[in-house]
Amino acid sequence: MNKIRYRSVLAVACVAVLGGCDEKASFQPDQQSGSNPPLPTAQRFLLPPMQVPDKAGWKPGQTPTVAPGLKIDAIATGLMHPRQLYVLPNDDVLVVESNSPGSEPVTTPKQLIAGMVKNQSGKGGKGGNRITLLRRKAGASGEWEKHVFIENLNSPFGVQLIGNSLYVANTDGIVRFPYVTGETEIKVPGVGFTDLPNTINHHWTKSLLASPDGSKLYVGVGSNSNITENGLAVEYRRADILEVDVATGASRIYASGLRNPTGLQWEPTTGKLWAIVNERDEIGADLVPDYMTSVHEGAFYGWPYSYYGQNVDTRVKPQRPDMVAKAIKPDYAIGSHVAPLGLLMSASNALPATFQGGAFIGEHGSWDRSPLSGYEVVFVAFKDGTPVGKPVSVVSGFYSKDEKQLFGAPVGLVQDKEGALLVADDVGDTVWRVTSATH
Amino acid sequence: MSYRAAPRRSVVANAIYGLLNPIPFGFFVAALIFDIVYAKTGEMLWMKAAAWLIAIGLVFAVIPRVVNLVQVWVTSRRTAVAAERLDFWLNLLAIVVAVVNAFVHSRDAYSVVPAGVWLSALTVLLLAVAHIVIAVQPTAPGNLAHE
Repeated sequence: MNKIRYRSVLAVACVAVLGGCDEKASFQPDQQSGSNPPLPTAQRFLLPPMQVPDKAGWKPGQTPTVAPGLKIDAIATGLMHPRQLYVLPNDDVLVVESNSPGSEPVTTPKQLIAGMVKNQSGKGGKGGNRITLLRRKAGASGEWEKHVFIENLNSPFGVQLIGNSLYVANTDGIVRFPYVTGETEIKVPGVGFTDLPNTINHHWTKSLLASPDGSKLYVGVGSNSNITENGLAVEYRRADILEVDVATGASRIYASGLRNPTGLQWEPTTGKLWAIVNERDEIGADLVPDYMTSVHEGAFYGWPYSYYGQNVDTRVKPQRPDMVAKAIKPDYAIGSHVAPLGLLMSASNALPATFQGGAFIGEHGSWDRSPLSGYEVVFVAFKDGTPVGKPVSVVSGFYSKDEKQLFGAPVGLVQDKEGALLVADDVGDTVWRVTSATH
Repeated sequence: MSYRAAPRRSVVANAIYGLLNPIPFGFFVAALIFDIVYAKTGEMLWMKAAAWLIAIGLVFAVIPRVVNLVQVWVTSRRTAVAAERLDFWLNLLAIVVAVVNAFVHSRDAYSVVPAGVWLSALTVLLLAVAHIVIAVQPTAPGNLAHE
């Protein structure tokens, strides 16, 4: 029904302004990948490019498709919107089941409609606000043991273990739990560790990464709007990566202008901090490419004033030429509106040789693009600490060939003890395990 | 004509029309004011308020526009005067402009400017002319509705 409503809305818009519907993408995602993506001219729409498949879920036995030489199995199903994964030292896998807190008020007629469109795809599904622990059954194949690990969280996303403390990034702050190796349930309530920006939570995920020495936590905080349409005041300490001192909980802005940094990782050969970032919407199906970049301390990456260096976004008022001049161009584009939500840097793993030494990216897919892009896990090879070549599809087949049905959507990625790639799928409510076919 | 035609316009329809027809005009005038304030300040409150005013104004316009359509082109097509037909077309155009404007107002932040301001101004201009056309028309036979 929503679709019919949307089609009619689209039809009205097309009739109203002839020629206003030339909105299809003209670039393939891999054409807009790499260090120097082509950037078409920004457009203004009556209705932005839009395509949202209906949630279908996975039929029994149905799986995503994998690249040649790989196989895929479900290790957990029936989860509540699994978003992030984390591997504990004993190879237990934590699954963060979460979705938006739904705290963003409806302040425009557009938001009323946008909410309906999102729910249709299954991306608005209710999150479990909990963490489930998966443990491999000794010697058995198929699904892993499932234990409810921590409950009553508040839209959690990032998880990190430092020593015996498990840090969970709720949307409103980081909480700390005591962790004992091997336990399958934490009953004691978490202790508030530090606050995080908590107004509106338009982008609600707080990604989390500990420094190798355990002294700092890095937190990816998304912007409170697409492009400042909720006012500049609510963007305080937003669209940035915060550095939190683990000893004191004190935090500072480590890098800024990153619209929605949803995944953080250390690049294994150089030890540099890298992030995946979701760029802005509604200026074209081919704008702005999402990216993966090394994150320099104190650097400004453009949002909201500009993108890819000095490409000014005229939607922001007031304009800030001084900030535009400061903006750094990110290292590596991965295509427009692919919506990267999971990042895994892997020096070595149990997959074939072509997937060694690089980054796996979970691309959740976006409403603001036709034809669809993203909805797959890709691999980007690294050489000497920098990405080379084009992204290669690793796991795909998350939507039907006619692009009408959505079976699943990949989010968080980790590598288990055996070097297999685990993929959280928050539309299919499943965790997938990708291994070498010959394994 | 020297005789009064049998009333073809129902009192109920006239009452509904008289009650609801002024509302969209007020909403669109307010939207224009807010759009100008937004264009000058960049303060999001005004643009979001204007977006609601246009959307709600359009909702309120549905019933009086349908009543007007039926009265001018069906039930009173023989007695409708030129001014009423012109009023119909001006209103129709204003609604089309306002629908486009509602979409323009769904854009984020300052990309609503300048198109949104011009479309709001055009909506108000068209409706203002329509109101004046009706206000200064000679009284038509059989026309029970008074502006």
